[in-house]
Amino acid sequence: MLDGLAHMLVTLGDGGALSSGIARAAAGADLIKLVPAITLGATAMCGVFAAMKVKSKLPAWFSVASLAACFGVVLAVFLGHDGTPRVAHAFDWINFSWTISENRASVTHDLVSNFAFYVDSLTLLWMLFVTGLAALIALYASEYMSHDVGAGYCRFFAAFNLFVFSMSCLVMGDNLLLTFLGWEGVGLCSYLLIGYYYTKDSAVAAGKKAFIMNRIGDLGFVLGLMSTYVAFGTLEYDRLFDLIGRGVDGAGQPITGTWVVQVIPFLFAIGAFGKSAQIFFYVWLPDAMEGPTPVSALIHAATMVTAGVFLIARLYPLFAADDAKLALSFVAWSGALTALWAATIEMAIFDIKRVMGYSTISQLGFMFAGLGLLTPTGAAYHTFTHAFFKATLFLGVGAVMHGFGGQLDLRRLSGVAWMRGFGLVGVAMLIGSINLSGVPGTAGFFSKDMILAQGFTTPGTTIWGAQAVGWILLVTAGMTAYYTFRTYFRVYVGPKEFTPGEDAHAHDDHHGHGHKEDFDPTTAEFDPHPPGAPMKVAIGLGMALTLLAAIPYFMGGHAARGEHAAPGGWVGGMVAHSSAAYNTPHEGFSFLGLTSHAAMYFISAGVGAVGLLIAAYLHGPKGWQGLWIGNRTEAATSRADALVPLLGRVVTFARNKWYVDEIYDFLIVKPLWVLSHVLYFIDQWVVDGLVNLFGAAPGMTGKAIRPTQNGELHGYAAWMAGGLAVVLLVVILVAT
Amino acid sequence: MDRVTSGVNTLGAIINPYMLYGLCVLGGVGVCLALPRGGKRPQILGALLAALIGGGAMLALGLTAGKAFPNLYFYVFSLLGLGAALRVITHPRPVYAALYFILTVIASGGLFLLLSAEFMAFALIIVYAGAILITYLFVIMLATQAAEEGQTEALADYDTHAREPAAATVVGFLLLALLTAMMFGGVKDLPAPGEPGHTRLMGQMHTKVQRTLRAEGVISPTEEVNAVDERAGTILVTADDGTYRKVERKDWPASLATGNVESLGFNLLRDHPGGIEIAGVILLMAMLGAVVLSRKQVQLDDEAKKAEAHRLGLIPEEGGAR
Amino acid sequence: MIGLTSLAQAAYPEPMAGATLAHYLAVSAIMFVLGLIGFLTRRNLIIMFLCTELMFQAAGIALVAFGRYHLNFHGQTFVVFILTVAAAEAAMALALIVLLFRRKESLDARSWEDLKG
Repeated sequence: MLDGLAHMLVTLGDGGALSSGIARAAAGADLIKLVPAITLGATAMCGVFAAMKVKSKLPAWFSVASLAACFGVVLAVFLGHDGTPRVAHAFDWINFSWTISENRASVTHDLVSNFAFYVDSLTLLWMLFVTGLAALIALYASEYMSHDVGAGYCRFFAAFNLFVFSMSCLVMGDNLLLTFLGWEGVGLCSYLLIGYYYTKDSAVAAGKKAFIMNRIGDLGFVLGLMSTYVAFGTLEYDRLFDLIGRGVDGAGQPITGTWVVQVIPFLFAIGAFGKSAQIFFYVWLPDAMEGPTPVSALIHAATMVTAGVFLIARLYPLFAADDAKLALSFVAWSGALTALWAATIEMAIFDIKRVMGYSTISQLGFMFAGLGLLTPTGAAYHTFTHAFFKATLFLGVGAVMHGFGGQLDLRRLSGVAWMRGFGLVGVAMLIGSINLSGVPGTAGFFSKDMILAQGFTTPGTTIWGAQAVGWILLVTAGMTAYYTFRTYFRVYVGPKEFTPGEDAHAHDDHHGHGHKEDFDPTTAEFDPHPPGAPMKVAIGLGMALTLLAAIPYFMGGHAARGEHAAPGGWVGGMVAHSSAAYNTPHEGFSFLGLTSHAAMYFISAGVGAVGLLIAAYLHGPKGWQGLWIGNRTEAATSRADALVPLLGRVVTFARNKWYVDEIYDFLIVKPLWVLSHVLYFIDQWVVDGLVNLFGAAPGMTGKAIRPTQNGELHGYAAWMAGGLAVVLLVVILVAT
Repeated sequence: MDRVTSGVNTLGAIINPYMLYGLCVLGGVGVCLALPRGGKRPQILGALLAALIGGGAMLALGLTAGKAFPNLYFYVFSLLGLGAALRVITHPRPVYAALYFILTVIASGGLFLLLSAEFMAFALIIVYAGAILITYLFVIMLATQAAEEGQTEALADYDTHAREPAAATVVGFLLLALLTAMMFGGVKDLPAPGEPGHTRLMGQMHTKVQRTLRAEGVISPTEEVNAVDERAGTILVTADDGTYRKVERKDWPASLATGNVESLGFNLLRDHPGGIEIAGVILLMAMLGAVVLSRKQVQLDDEAKKAEAHRLGLIPEEGGAR
Repeated sequence: MIGLTSLAQAAYPEPMAGATLAHYLAVSAIMFVLGLIGFLTRRNLIIMFLCTELMFQAAGIALVAFGRYHLNFHGQTFVVFILTVAAAEAAMALALIVLLFRRKESLDARSWEDLKG
């Protein structure tokens, strides 16, 4: 009886050599299975609501409740977690084996890919902010999307819940295939939500663009997945990490220096770049801002785009197994260049939501650089902090967009923080901005420092050009401070001034806030409506979480449990107990007698301050709001305008995003278009022609010989005689 | 064997295939011209040309035959038959065509006679010329439109105008060229005929042997033929008193020899009994078919059927029947 | 010269030469082709059938000649069957022709062209 119970517990857990004591803890980890179940159920419920034509905010509240429940589940599992990876097995999905004869010995292969969840601290770290932010942003969206109640409201929340489900599969998947399922699922939800306003051509185009760019990256993922199976004979992380830890592949051959460690990481890196909008693949992310702002906040800033970071962190053993660290160098350089590239564009464009979009790309570049610079802790921590402050920033931008009829041009908005009801938004934006710029003491400051310092700590012999990467990142950090506060100084402080956006009227029609019915956007009688209670709660919570995100840096994390203290505090402890653990070289250089990381605090603070002051000088309003060095008095102009002629065409180029879209259009889209037309022509005339020829041949033959069937007796007789003649001729020719 | 081969070689040397083909072409032109096409002139010319070519060919065949020169009657009958055949296909009047066909049949019968097929010769003439062709004539009479007033020549258009004579002639003579090429190529490969030998059918014809021997006076009326051994050449004869004697071959009368009819009869009935049965069935079917087909189809409505039934007394008349 | 006595012979007195056989075959072939040409050109149904009879004749001559060459009676037996078939065909065909003529008052083969499938 007891044996049976123990066996059951063991089966519930890892199903292996776990002792019954661990099995109890594993049963705690089993709780995590509720997350996908709840979210999938919520998706289905939203579908039911849609079918019932619910005309209230019920789907939103239902989603908020279920997502909050998910967060609670994750929190419970996290609190019960002891740092050992667990597998929570939901049900068998793909599970079969076969035996073949190989070199006169029968070898059994298997393909196991179950609906099981790999719960380690990396998973929990990700799940915590995914579910937490999802609940928060769902709350925000409940008001933000209120103009669509009864129309697309259910659709929005169905996709929203489905996104969380997919994200949980991606993050918690016990094997690469389930991760890939989630990977594709989030891509699908991203597509659905970007194209949410499907009557808008630009939104539809952006959705398609995101989908297609992601597919290119996914090709890398799929190839990596298949190569992994070929090399290791398994897709399960447990067995995979065990094999990599022993340095052998599935056949027992050492993997060092083989294609396994040299090629497969590159393939996964391509997949990660696609999803996380890195260099060459980033073009979809700015366009994805066509979606509703909550979506931009959750999916395209905080969670989904960090899936690439997660993938590399998850497969870090594989990436780190290469002694030459080729793939990691590639990742580091791509990240650094992406960060710089996106920062240059941000400095020039005026659309504040696009600024946030490019800023996300840039920060993702930081994360990838961190991964490449052998500090997965830094990358994970930056992902964590970025999720909060970028979500907060987006929520703030969304509130402005919501309040000013879709106005996003920073030249048409000024002093928003001083307007009635927007005070909280101004504060939230300030907090988000100081985090993004890396003002000392903020979460963003610490997380960015971990990566920046690592650039100068990691030896260049391990990661090719690590120092150069560090310098690029440092410059980018300064640019980040500039462009962040450029937006802040232009939009949130200064003289109160605004021009309502184009969809102000339509926007108001659906609103029950008692605005003037006969609103004319050309007159200044537009009354910006401030965010309502749910939005304020969400913004406030996001703001608070952003501030709190700095605390984990100083928490001991799991080191308190008697193990050696990992750098990076709580997050470092989380990472150290996961697959992404890597014994990072911590000390590289010293500066004024300080250790590298300590020195970097001052250096990056200085760089950030320079960027901030430049922003204040160029864009800050007069008086204290512009730190007494700005002199802007109206929304449309600033000192920066004077710099534009000096820089010449560079500004135009940057403002047009360096014409990357146009270059892609010319290099890829146009040739493909031509090729497709050529192929269409071939298909139409050669392939179809051939098929039609085969079809027409019997018809033409029939048409040709139809006259012989004219019903004329003589004709038939003549053919008979002619046939006889032919037969005789053949006989004569053959016989003689 | 030797003789046969040399004969063929001679033939082949003079009437070589090209000459044969040339003759075929010329004959074809002639036949083509001879076919009815409304006017008269080219017909006569064509018939003459065809006859000339045919005669020339026959003459050539005769001259080249050498020792194997066939019977003179062969030329008579074959020219007669082929000329009549030409008229059959060229004469615009069906009645004349049928009559010319009778001539062809008679000429064929003559050729059969030359080929020692007496029974078939006369059967052909009786059955074809006597029965089938008379039927044809009847049908021609039945199925010819009556001549209108003042029109002596009542020829239908389909009789006076041949259909695409040139094409048909080309096909026909192409076939002829091939047929003759094949025949003359194949004749020399035929196995040589065996010795004439004897049919050895007398053993199965006791009654005939006894009757013939009695009629010829070789045996007395009281003697009976007991056994016929054609191979050994003896006929065992038994007298009244039970004494035997043999009639040797040298004493056999000429009329004892097996005739054509007897040989054919044996061949037909002994070797091909199945064929006879099938032929019988075919004839029966043809008879029934002809009866069914030529029966006049009369569609009677219900009223007429009823009246007919009353007339036949099958049902009593309604009402005031007398 | 060859006298009349050789016209009819009781049995096969001597083998026939191959060259002589060729004569008969030539006559047969010419007659067959004449029948064929007639069939192909004449439009009167009755004459077309006469032409088939002509072809039967030609076949009969060839058969008898071969039988004579081989000194057996199979050729003649086959002519008996040809006669049978010719008679049957004549009976049927003529009955059909009468029917057709009744229907269209014409013996033109072309008037039945619309019987095509």
